[in-house]
Amino acid sequence: MKRIGAIVALVLAVQLAAFAQDWDPGGTLKKLSARASNTVDVTLDQSMLQFAGGFLNSKDPDEAQAKNIISKLKGLYVHSFQFDKPGQYTEQDVAAIQNYLKGPDWIRIVDVRSKSEGQNVQVYFKKEGQQFKGLVVLATQPTQLTFVDLVGPITPEDLRALGGQFGIPKVEVHPNPAGKKGESK
Amino acid sequence: MSDRLERELKKALQRVEPPAGFAERVLARAAREEAKSAQPRAWFRWFGMSGLRWAVACALCLALAGSAVLYRHQRQEKGEQAKEQVMLALQITSSKLRIASESVQQISGPEQPVRSEEP
Repeated sequence: MKRIGAIVALVLAVQLAAFAQDWDPGGTLKKLSARASNTVDVTLDQSMLQFAGGFLNSKDPDEAQAKNIISKLKGLYVHSFQFDKPGQYTEQDVAAIQNYLKGPDWIRIVDVRSKSEGQNVQVYFKKEGQQFKGLVVLATQPTQLTFVDLVGPITPEDLRALGGQFGIPKVEVHPNPAGKKGESK
Repeated sequence: MSDRLERELKKALQRVEPPAGFAERVLARAAREEAKSAQPRAWFRWFGMSGLRWAVACALCLALAGSAVLYRHQRQEKGEQAKEQVMLALQITSSKLRIASESVQQISGPEQPVRSEEP
């Protein structure tokens, strides 16, 4: 009986952990989805990534690189919202997402704000000990909001190695060894 | 009277030798009859009982093969969809990182991205 209880608890814990990966702070993403004219939602947990990896062609450079990246990931979540006109998402919506990333584990390594184009991009790494265990990209434009969450060991070195693949640039990122939050590059 | 009857009976019941080859002919005919009667049984067994078994076995094989083909097709379809999602997700990630990268590289250029302060 105890064993069954333990198994049930384990299954529930796994389910909760899987659910917790693709988070939606305060239902912000759901609200944004309702307002958006176009929505891209990609939700791939580890098992789906492994499954997809089996269909990526190792002979194709892009797919081979993708296969290499996702082999390390525990989750890949992308939510991109396209709006008909500016003002359909608010600062509060963005702040709700940013608040989640203010935790001690998160390091903002890039914060780009272009006043002329109204384009902002913030890149965060999740640090656990001396390792990076996740990457979040929050990009906003007047009529677009994109949230990318890569769960798993993605390092700046990995990003550099990806230069040219999928158009991912060689991002020159140098995480603060002291782990200071909010450092801008 | 009884002597006469007795004689007639003895005459009627006296042993008569069969003609030559009689036994062989009887045995041959019996064999033919047996073969004739056995034919429908074999037919029934083949097309009846065995035929039914074969039909069931074939139907099961076809169902299994069909299920395997369907499963493989669905798995392939799901796999392709998952692969497309992975590539789409990485392309979106890439495009956003490119914007960040280009902006960072333009720091020394004419348009300076605004550096944010500690939130």
